[in-house]
Amino acid sequence: MNPALFLHLMSIESRRLLSYRVDFWITMILTLIVQLVVIWALWTAIFAESGKDIVAGWDLQGILAYGVFVFLTGRVVRGGDLQMAVATEIYDGSLSRFLVYPCNYCFTKYAQQLGNIFPDIFQSVLMALLIIPFMESSTTVDLNLTGILMCLPSIFCAHLLFFMMGLLPQMVAFWADNVWSLSVMMRMVTMLIGGATFPLSLFPDSMQSVLYMLPFRYLFEFPTLVLLGKVGIEEWITGIVSCLIWCGFFLLLLIPVWRRGTLRYTGVGI
Amino acid sequence: MRYLRLYRQFLSFSFSRSLEYRLDFWFRIIMDCIFYVVEIAFFMVIYQHTEILGEWNFDQTLVFVCGFLLVDAIHMTVFSNNLWWLPIYVNKGDLDYYLVRPVSSLFFLSLRDFAANSFLNLVIASGLLGWALMRYPEPIPTTNLLWYLFLLLNGALLHYTLQMFFLIPVIWLHSNRGLTNAFFSTTKLGERPDKIYPKWTRRILLFVFPLLLMAAIPARVLFEGPSLELVALTLGISAVFFLLMVSFWNFALRHYSSASS
Repeated sequence: MNPALFLHLMSIESRRLLSYRVDFWITMILTLIVQLVVIWALWTAIFAESGKDIVAGWDLQGILAYGVFVFLTGRVVRGGDLQMAVATEIYDGSLSRFLVYPCNYCFTKYAQQLGNIFPDIFQSVLMALLIIPFMESSTTVDLNLTGILMCLPSIFCAHLLFFMMGLLPQMVAFWADNVWSLSVMMRMVTMLIGGATFPLSLFPDSMQSVLYMLPFRYLFEFPTLVLLGKVGIEEWITGIVSCLIWCGFFLLLLIPVWRRGTLRYTGVGI
Repeated sequence: MRYLRLYRQFLSFSFSRSLEYRLDFWFRIIMDCIFYVVEIAFFMVIYQHTEILGEWNFDQTLVFVCGFLLVDAIHMTVFSNNLWWLPIYVNKGDLDYYLVRPVSSLFFLSLRDFAANSFLNLVIASGLLGWALMRYPEPIPTTNLLWYLFLLLNGALLHYTLQMFFLIPVIWLHSNRGLTNAFFSTTKLGERPDKIYPKWTRRILLFVFPLLLMAAIPARVLFEGPSLELVALTLGISAVFFLLMVSFWNFALRHYSSASS
């Protein structure tokens, strides 16, 4: 795809997202407040009632920092509201116009998805700048410039992986009329076993070894651990490479599904 | 009686409609089951690191979580589909068709579509609650249990009432995606034991935005007995919020300007 067209699609999508500014800010501010209240209340109660200073390698301030940053990075990884766009286009027939465009459909969607995350990045950075001054120091995390710089490529890889994982359930729309529940299922599962709810180190050891073999941890936990200085350079490089290998794996799954799906597609919705 | 007959017709249409999309019918059932597993797994992991959370042990929290799942299942079955469509009706002007019918517009719009696929999940959620109650090691007095179940039903109605407060502004805002997302985020506050919150947050969640009345306070009634204070608080606040919501709806309708509003 022409890079200029790719950037143009991104730009259109960013501006579209900002067309409902009230929605955009209400969603961010209220969800952040709720997230802060829930994690603060929950972890304060856990540390107070268990009488422990360290839980699964985290002190209270460290796990609160994890909760805040996994929320902020997770918003960027999930990116905007395109989670059902592909399924909707297949269902209502509007996929047809994309098929006659002289550009690849998946690249078009990815450009839109990337355009969706720039306003999210702006919001997340703004919120982080507001919150960081109120965060107390932790003995288990180290927020520094190196971590921030290492985190950026981790987030973009996670975003690509999330996009590719999200396409699979949406392409089921070639065979079924209504598949939003599949996307919701994937979202719920990835939130828990991807580390968006809490770090995977809290799971029992036997489960952790399984969870670390799956791709989900690269979506939320890995970028957040990198940001919080809990991942060394070697582990970071291994993580990025593993994440890209998983992207390749999902790409290999997507190609035959897309081919079979488009053969079956009738554009009946138009 | 007229409204009961009408509701029977709603049920009949809803079951027929849901069977048109059979694959979706099963997807939604699996989706809700995964939601139940994720909710329970969350607390199973948390209780690996503490024995008590918000003054409750794991058995008590499990009953509380299953109670919340039941409230959610009732909401999903009875109200959810209808509330999903409401903003679309407002923006397309289709609300007009509901306003001219000779029944309460709020009744019609809130109850018309009964989610038959979620009904199966309601059965599963009831089973989970039954299982949590059966494995609860302490004896549960029948009075406590009856009050608990009644307050859970009240919790489902309160869930609907609170969501309506986030939906009605679509008449002015035109898009309510932000408010809907915000509502679903805030319900998380009600998915945790009430005593984990500090005093001022707890008061807000009891009196200003009473999410704790949906499942946490009913669970407290089950474990501690139906004190007049807790029951009166739950029913009183729910009634006040319901009446406020009805007034807000009527007020909003006066500002509804039909198609393309």
